[in-house]
Amino acid sequence: MATPSAVIARPVNSQPQEQIMIQLEGVEKVYRTERIETVALTNINLAVRAGEFISIMGPSGSGKSTLLNVIGLLDVPSGGKVAINNRPITSYSDRNLALVRNEEIGFIFQTFHLINDLSVVDNVEIPLLYRKGISGAERRKMALQALDRVGLHARVHHFPNQLSGGQQQRVAIARAIVGNPRILLADEPTGNLDSQMGDEIMDVLKHLSEQEKTTVVMVTHDPRQADKTERIVRLFDGRQVN
Amino acid sequence: MFKHICKLVWNRKRVNFLIILEIFISFLVMFSVIVLTVYYADNYRQPLGFDYQNVWYLQVEAIEKSGTAEKQDRPQQIEKFKRVMAAVREFGEVEAVAGAQYLPYMNGNWSSCNDVNGKPVCYWANAVTDDYRDVMRINIVRGRWFGKEDDGANYKPLIINRQLAKERFGNEDPIGKALNQLDKQDSLPEGKRARVEERVVGMVDDFRKNGEFAELKGYAIYRNSLREADDRLPRVLGVRVHPGVTAAFEEKLLKRLQNEASDWSFTIKPLTQMREEMHQQSIVPLTAFAVVAGFLMLMVGLGLIGVLWQSVTQRTKEIGLRRAKGATKQRIYRQILGELLVITTCGALIGTLVVVQFPLLDFLGFATPKVYAYAIVISLLLIYALTAVCGLYPSWLATKVHPAEALHYE
Ligand SMILES: Nc1ncnc2c1ncn2[C@@H]1O[C@H](COP(=O)(O)OP(=O)(O)OP(=O)(O)O)[C@@H](O)[C@H]1O
Ligand SMILES: [Mg+2]
Repeated sequence: MATPSAVIARPVNSQPQEQIMIQLEGVEKVYRTERIETVALTNINLAVRAGEFISIMGPSGSGKSTLLNVIGLLDVPSGGKVAINNRPITSYSDRNLALVRNEEIGFIFQTFHLINDLSVVDNVEIPLLYRKGISGAERRKMALQALDRVGLHARVHHFPNQLSGGQQQRVAIARAIVGNPRILLADEPTGNLDSQMGDEIMDVLKHLSEQEKTTVVMVTHDPRQADKTERIVRLFDGRQVN
Repeated sequence: MFKHICKLVWNRKRVNFLIILEIFISFLVMFSVIVLTVYYADNYRQPLGFDYQNVWYLQVEAIEKSGTAEKQDRPQQIEKFKRVMAAVREFGEVEAVAGAQYLPYMNGNWSSCNDVNGKPVCYWANAVTDDYRDVMRINIVRGRWFGKEDDGANYKPLIINRQLAKERFGNEDPIGKALNQLDKQDSLPEGKRARVEERVVGMVDDFRKNGEFAELKGYAIYRNSLREADDRLPRVLGVRVHPGVTAAFEEKLLKRLQNEASDWSFTIKPLTQMREEMHQQSIVPLTAFAVVAGFLMLMVGLGLIGVLWQSVTQRTKEIGLRRAKGATKQRIYRQILGELLVITTCGALIGTLVVVQFPLLDFLGFATPKVYAYAIVISLLLIYALTAVCGLYPSWLATKVHPAEALHYE
């Protein structure tokens, strides 16, 4: 398996380090079903700088995934403000959210969520399909570059189920970064991998954060992996604890 | 995106194969119904060549012929037939009356063939008395109707329709030409060889004895002068009555005819009724076929909705992921519908390729290339409409997938 040293760096943006990429103010999330009302998040205030690598920890059901979904605009908060890359999210229209998700955010999941009916490189191209003005040839080139950046050179025409878990997660990361988003959101990216593969994935994420100034927010249960990040946000029962 | 959709469809070919098969079979069934419908509709637009309103069909059965002395009896029978015709003509209700072997909408054919440059040209024939033109209101477009000048001529006069003229003479003017070729009859059996020239004296646009839905076919009308030695006894009378004459006249007429020829039997029917009966023969099977095909389409449609619905529920994770990666609801909608259209195209394309082979195999050979092409185009439009309608609901369902929830559950 390729080591992170083989990863080709993306041109570094000359942004000031202080720039806030993610800003949450008093964010609440309540799930209402017929009878039960579940408070998943209460008064979350969070600011993440550009290029920062933070982790979110907490017991199961404490609201980690919910928080990540609110940041990633997959879920609408019940209250509070969200701003991504200094763009306050005022309109939660489908079109607007889709645009911000496509341009600013890359998602990585515990179970990879690769489409098994598409080859590796076709999977990586997906975010570019939803972006205007990119030709098929350009898409292919960008996808191969992204795969290169995560250290996956061969097997690009294989199908996901022909790859190991670690390789699949690399594909998922390549897919998350192919559109050069400023933010990577990873929900337990190493949760399904053994510790060696998990370490390799952590190296890739760390590299993206350090070399390419990508902001990374990672949910994890593994204190060993959390310790490798710059800051740990702890949640308990939907609240931040320090 | 189109290429992406094609890739998805291709990579899921094992699942999609069954849908393609279903669409392919629907296409074939739909096509068979439509080709028949278009064929009938196209025939319906062609000129009929006669007017069936206020014409009564009067069947004459000469029972007296006791087998042996038939030929010798004929002059007497013809005289009797002439008396019957004269009796009919006397009625004030009657506008015209003529004898014929066949009236339109009658079952039964008299068909004949001629060899033209090694290819048989076949046509339906009739032999009529001179008043037949007035009974059926036949419009001669070229040449003339039968007349005195044909009496005792050394040829057999006949009127043909445009179709037969085209098949027999191509683009040449048929008037004055011989339909049969006296010098080329070696291949025919002795009894079938013609002794006299059959000369075309007139042409009609058409004469479609089986009515509006029947195919275009050559037609020849011979003259029955009720005079020549080998003239046959007409089998029917065509009686044109004045508009407004009711069924009551039928009894009056029958009574009079029984007096004139008590040993003959007569049957009367309005031509409109015979027309209805003949149309039933074409329409009823087509309707039954269309109803069965309609139900089949309904089943196919429901099946398609089910399959697509299931595929959307199975693919919630994929849809959620696409939404997370920046797909709008509209893009998801278009993708699901787009996949369906690609699948439909596969099924319809195979169907078209198969259907195009049919004429080569001489199956459904009655349809002209034009009818065939129309039927293919209409079938394609319908199959796309069917699948698109079936795809609307599942595609809409796909837009309702909530990305966070779809990606949450394992
Ligand atoms: N769609 C939903 N509808 C109702 N309740 C929900 C929904 N999603 C999450 N919840 C509830 O919100 C709370 C937080 O859930 P969340 O998935 O964010 O926890 P988590 O910290 O990610 O847990 P885990 O470590 O097990 O992944 C839980 O009590 C959960 O039951
Ligand atoms: Mg979670």
